[in-house]
Amino acid sequence: MTEAVFRETAADPRTQAVPLAHLSIELGHLYMEDFEAGPERLRQHFAQVRPWVDAARAAAAARAGGKRPRVSTCFLIDDYFTRFSSPAELVPLLLAEADRAGLVIDYLARESGCAVAGKVPVAEAVAGRIVESPPPGSYGLRPPAAQTGWLANGERSPVARAPQAMKKAAVWQPPTETAARRHSVFLDVELWSDDPDGHRTWSCPFLAAVWQLARLGLLRNEGEPVFVPQPPTDRGFPDDWDELPPLIRLNPRADPFAAYRTCSVLPNRFLPVEHAVRVILDQTEVDRGALRQVAERSAREDVAVPDSVADRVSYVFYAGS
Amino acid sequence: MAPHESAPRAVLAGGEIRTCLLPARQALDVRAAAQLLGLRADERVLLSERPNLYARSPDTLTGIDCPLPSANGAHVRAVGTVAARAALTEGRILQTSAYFRLPASGPDQRQPWGHYLVRPGLLEPFGKLPHEAVAQGVLDGGRHGELDVGLIAGGLLTRLLRHPLLDQRPPLRSRPTRLRWVALPAEGDQGPSIERFTLAEDELRTVRLRVPEGTPPADVAGLCDDLALHDWLLTTLVRLLDGIRLGSGPPPARVGPPADDRPAVVAALRPAVDHLLHLWMPRARVAKELAPLWEALEERPGFTRQWQALVQRIRDQLTLHAIPSLYREVEPAP
Amino acid sequence: MLVFAASDKGGTGRSVTSANLAYQRALTGDHVAYVDFDFGSPTAAAVFDVPGAVRGTEERGLHSYLEGEIAEPARIDVWRQTEHPLLRARPNQSGRLVLFPGDAGGGEFATDEDALERCIDLLLRLNGEFDLIVVDLSAGRSYAVDMVLAATAHPRMRNVPFRWLVFHRWTRQHVIAASGLVHKEHGIIGGGVERGHDEGALRAAIRFVRAAVPDPESPLWSQGSPAQAAWMQSCDEALRRLAAEHRIGDSVVLGVVPLEPILQWREQLITEEDVLSTQIANKETLEALEEIARRLTDDSYWGQP
Repeated sequence: MTEAVFRETAADPRTQAVPLAHLSIELGHLYMEDFEAGPERLRQHFAQVRPWVDAARAAAAARAGGKRPRVSTCFLIDDYFTRFSSPAELVPLLLAEADRAGLVIDYLARESGCAVAGKVPVAEAVAGRIVESPPPGSYGLRPPAAQTGWLANGERSPVARAPQAMKKAAVWQPPTETAARRHSVFLDVELWSDDPDGHRTWSCPFLAAVWQLARLGLLRNEGEPVFVPQPPTDRGFPDDWDELPPLIRLNPRADPFAAYRTCSVLPNRFLPVEHAVRVILDQTEVDRGALRQVAERSAREDVAVPDSVADRVSYVFYAGS
Repeated sequence: MAPHESAPRAVLAGGEIRTCLLPARQALDVRAAAQLLGLRADERVLLSERPNLYARSPDTLTGIDCPLPSANGAHVRAVGTVAARAALTEGRILQTSAYFRLPASGPDQRQPWGHYLVRPGLLEPFGKLPHEAVAQGVLDGGRHGELDVGLIAGGLLTRLLRHPLLDQRPPLRSRPTRLRWVALPAEGDQGPSIERFTLAEDELRTVRLRVPEGTPPADVAGLCDDLALHDWLLTTLVRLLDGIRLGSGPPPARVGPPADDRPAVVAALRPAVDHLLHLWMPRARVAKELAPLWEALEERPGFTRQWQALVQRIRDQLTLHAIPSLYREVEPAP
Repeated sequence: MLVFAASDKGGTGRSVTSANLAYQRALTGDHVAYVDFDFGSPTAAAVFDVPGAVRGTEERGLHSYLEGEIAEPARIDVWRQTEHPLLRARPNQSGRLVLFPGDAGGGEFATDEDALERCIDLLLRLNGEFDLIVVDLSAGRSYAVDMVLAATAHPRMRNVPFRWLVFHRWTRQHVIAASGLVHKEHGIIGGGVERGHDEGALRAAIRFVRAAVPDPESPLWSQGSPAQAAWMQSCDEALRRLAAEHRIGDSVVLGVVPLEPILQWREQLITEEDVLSTQIANKETLEALEEIARRLTDDSYWGQP
């Protein structure tokens, strides 16, 4: 800023870079009900996923223009909303079923890591980065009553407030989607809920949005990467989820976890959740240093990466539940 | 190239700064300052101790979609984000600063919001931007419903002033000021210059700048933060001395007179010594390329000259009152 | 220092008297803000003789501010914008006198949590800027009274000193009503305690101003018959007893404003000029106002009675 001779570290923000693959493929999301349905459910799932994974790899190869694209796969287990089984029991089963379908899970993540990774309150940090899309007419005044804990893709219906004496109450008006093409598909997403003790539970779409940002290599905490893959310990998988790092590298030869783009192969019951994820990503300002690093790196590699973060994310929804 | 750099070059930058005394009995130390300005859980507050204590928050963004003010009535809609940040100097002076930049032209329709979020602080006009007219419009202040960056700086200030760290016991009465600025491209390869610095209304100042193409708007905002800070200091000292009755007559019946029987002049001037006089430090954090702009203001009207005169006056008054009355030939006034 | 001006009924001269107090303090060099929270019937513009200036602020007054429609309420510099020829010549060494008007045509409205936060923001900002802030409140147990009780009980305002002035006329009905406003179950003290105020501290910060009081000694009545004088005297004594019974006796009275036609009919600021040269106002009235203004910050008049 002033003289290059003098430097103060606290006055000189740095952002650490993360290694990047071309594509991160999510092979699935596992919830308790899937687990309770038995190994057949997993087997079915991986069998359905397999052809789409091949297609996603082929598309990545085509985009890479002949060079071998770096592609990594990942799998997310819910240990946030419900706790079930244990890593020692579940992980080997999961790997076996994936292997049966000819799939390799490179990275395994815990959903609670998207809320708090180690000591870093990731979800809270991402919530602080939401910049709401302004409806036309936004000139700088803060909207009188922001719905805290909710995020919409447009303008809500006006709430009937107690009007001043002698003034008329407003008539009902429909909500509108800001980016609507003629007609609106209005979506209002609940980001979190607080219980009476003040304990906050992040919503599934919100954590899924954090998960996408992690896979895009765009999360930082004070400049440090947040999801750093750890190798599994020699002692095998623990009996308690809390003892498992938020992200582990199961395949030592895997390409980097974070990637320029992501693709998630999911049953179509996830469609509403992922629509909500898109609404969130479209209104989240990601770390500028991280964003710049991705842009510079991809430019050096001559890989096209969409500007908009939400556009870096893609999905395959297969029939089934 | 980074996406925010792939945007067309800005032909106009502008912003507004609010400057006020921190409403707290004691100046905040560095740690408390970091707590106050920690607007984001995952981004550090910039802290600096040389040449003075200074803390700056990360930037926050506010979404905008509205017509731009313009001096000739041209109606240009713009969409994008305005960046805003807060800074605390010596734990005592709080500033919020909102700023934006505008390219010469933009797409004719609104893009998905994610497009704007990766270009922080950029507003894209629909079509061509009449930048001279808009620059004047910004300085004049728009009509209701047109872009008002002052609201964004003000909103951030309101948010910070609600912080529980503040005990709401300001050591002296003072008024916040607003400084609105625009920067237009300099002609040819000329260096930066201040075209006009205006004391408009009671609390409003406007600054019109020319800067070489490619000057980062954050640097220009930094220069204007520095101008606003020092203008606030001058304004506050002038008003402080203005409110004191020198010469004969009863002292003003200020609310809450000091518990002891110090003369009113000492009671009124003491907070300035305790909290303000050490803050004068022009150019402390101005980008090297823009630092020479201060010279124009030092030349005329002579910011530092006026400051030194005011400081001298305050010290003289206090010295006068420090002399035991026994040795004074005449009672100092009052 | 914040001073809240309250009354149970209309017609007590609350607005005009509190405006005069603000004016008197500004004359002595204080920077004074006058905040018009009389949401039902904003009248301050008339008192300060700034109707033209207020006309430009219809949508930018305190209602719009509290409802969040604007970020900063309009302010009117009285010395500069008044149409009163005497006020415009701002006396040398006087402090600033700034009016914060309500919206023209704004009504009484229910206040919510957001409005309360904005109210606190405003009062704190004014506290940093002005020596004295006079807040004129709608008559009765109004939303405005509720809001400022909640605001002053808020932790953010813990270090901001405040005082209450309750205005009432010198009649049986008004004495009983004024006492009710302060002492009844959900009155200022009860309501304040519900919102977190300390009862003793709040009680110690409330004083009464008796307005439009006919002074039996005044030359105004010197033409009356002896019987009339005796009757007035006994009425006055009876009222004093009544006031004492209702806990608003002399010990909690900050001042008495004599019956003054100029306040009753014109609702205007009383200047020295009105007393000395045109003589349309009584000297006693001006002196009473000056004295009450002075006592606002004289601690010997405040505290537990």
